[in-house]
Amino acid sequence: MATNKSGVRQYFANIFDAIRTVSGGMAITMRAFLKSNGLIRKKLGGYDYGRGTVTLSYPESKEVLPALSRNRLFNHVEGCISCNQCAVVCPVDCITIESRKKNDDEDSGEKTPERFKSKPIKLKLLRFDIDEALCCFCGLCTEVCPTECLVHTAEFEYSKYDRDKFVYDYLNFNDDNPLIPSDA
Amino acid sequence: MSTATPEPGKLRTEELTINMGPQHPSTHGVLRVELITDGEIIKAAYPHLGYLHRCFEKHAETRDYVQIVPFVDRMDYLASMNMELGYVMAVEKLLAAEIPERAQAIRVIVCELNRIASHLLAVGTYAIDLGAFTPFLYAFRDREKILHIFEKICGARLLYNYIRPGGVARDVNKDTLAEIVEFCKYFKPLLHELDALLSFNSIFVNRTAGIAVIKTDMAVSYGLSGPNLRGSGYDWDLRKNAPYCGYEKYDFDVCVATAEKGELGDCWNRYHVRVREMFESLKIIEQAATQIPEGPISGGVGKTIKAEGEVFLTTECPRGELGYHLVADGTKKPHRLKVKSPCLNAISVLDELSAGMMLADIVALIGSIDIVLGEVDR
Repeated sequence: MATNKSGVRQYFANIFDAIRTVSGGMAITMRAFLKSNGLIRKKLGGYDYGRGTVTLSYPESKEVLPALSRNRLFNHVEGCISCNQCAVVCPVDCITIESRKKNDDEDSGEKTPERFKSKPIKLKLLRFDIDEALCCFCGLCTEVCPTECLVHTAEFEYSKYDRDKFVYDYLNFNDDNPLIPSDA
Repeated sequence: MSTATPEPGKLRTEELTINMGPQHPSTHGVLRVELITDGEIIKAAYPHLGYLHRCFEKHAETRDYVQIVPFVDRMDYLASMNMELGYVMAVEKLLAAEIPERAQAIRVIVCELNRIASHLLAVGTYAIDLGAFTPFLYAFRDREKILHIFEKICGARLLYNYIRPGGVARDVNKDTLAEIVEFCKYFKPLLHELDALLSFNSIFVNRTAGIAVIKTDMAVSYGLSGPNLRGSGYDWDLRKNAPYCGYEKYDFDVCVATAEKGELGDCWNRYHVRVREMFESLKIIEQAATQIPEGPISGGVGKTIKAEGEVFLTTECPRGELGYHLVADGTKKPHRLKVKSPCLNAISVLDELSAGMMLADIVALIGSIDIVLGEVDR
């Protein structure tokens, strides 16, 4: 800013400077406005934004999440071999697993379904709870799972009024919708 | 006649204590600053820390080396990749592990993308602090694209848990690499636009130029680093001065303040260093994404990590030099993990700098040093 001008000249120079720089910015916002409403088709700054607004009106239109995205956990219990690796690797200890050795009358040659790697199930799973309120979505548990039965689902809307409701019991799930616990 | 009415010309004045924060939008987190004001002049400002203290350093002593990575993410939650890189490199230095070339290139790409995302947020919220709303929306529109790329690469938008001891968690496929290169092409003109929109706007310049000047020697003596140090005109960037992770292979410049407006070390120069750094990051990403070698994405580190020894390692994060001091005793868990946070140094200038400042300028100061309280308190 010029400082050698004095008095009135400086006063008007400041006003002029403010108007010049602000209208430069205004031109940019106006171009973006016209562009996003499809009123001008010229490429903006050498790149085509595409038309329309970039805002997503969330509850009406939802974003398609990438396949890898880490949201609520889900355990397919028919593939679980109670190996406890997920519970061990969890940094916040949100997984609780209880299992016991199979009795003589139970099928000892049982295997996990083919899509869960056909591994022998030597233990009987008694409890598989995940406290989703504690989960930090780091994804370590799904990486160590030997049968890949513990997965991150695409579901991210599961807020609840009660913190206890976040404890998901995967042995006790609704048959109609496998992602919803039976007591919900 | 009332005795309380003072005689003309002898008005009673007193200092007023104002609490700024902890829930104040321009403190960028939960920082409480106790301001002692005399009219509109600040006499002293005492930052009160600890509102976001999560006992990270102690907690790290109870977890495996791999389990600490998600916690490291949560320090500077705006630049998690950079947080991870420093920690993971400290662990690898402890194990003297050789990291595959491809993993290193991926690390550079994601870290620089994260630097852009972090600087965009810093620039955008700084504008909003000073009353300019539009640049914030522009910055977030483009930041969103980066977060989308991250979600594709590692599944999360902010807390990635992506860089692991030995390499990275997942490979980046060709499509995503092409998307990253495409993003660079898309973003460069828009960054020029953002620069033209805000940087030389005379209202913005008048609010920032010449305000809260940190002289070069003061910046050095306070141990400032990153854009805050370079904003004071000191040419120091660890990526250039002590290259790590293959940064020596890439051609980029270190952005030092030029005092185009205002003077060296003022708010405007610190702000503008960030804007220019985004251009340099784009250069690095373009080079890394086009030259990325084929090969494994992890290696050199076993499945269970047991280490012994002591290392200190610093990396250049968006907010400055982040240091990890890791002491290992041969077990699966670290004996001690101490973090040297750049934001803590940045926040310590507040006390000295704010004396004599106007009340409205402290907002400009706090925004320009770009602190993240998650990292200050840990």
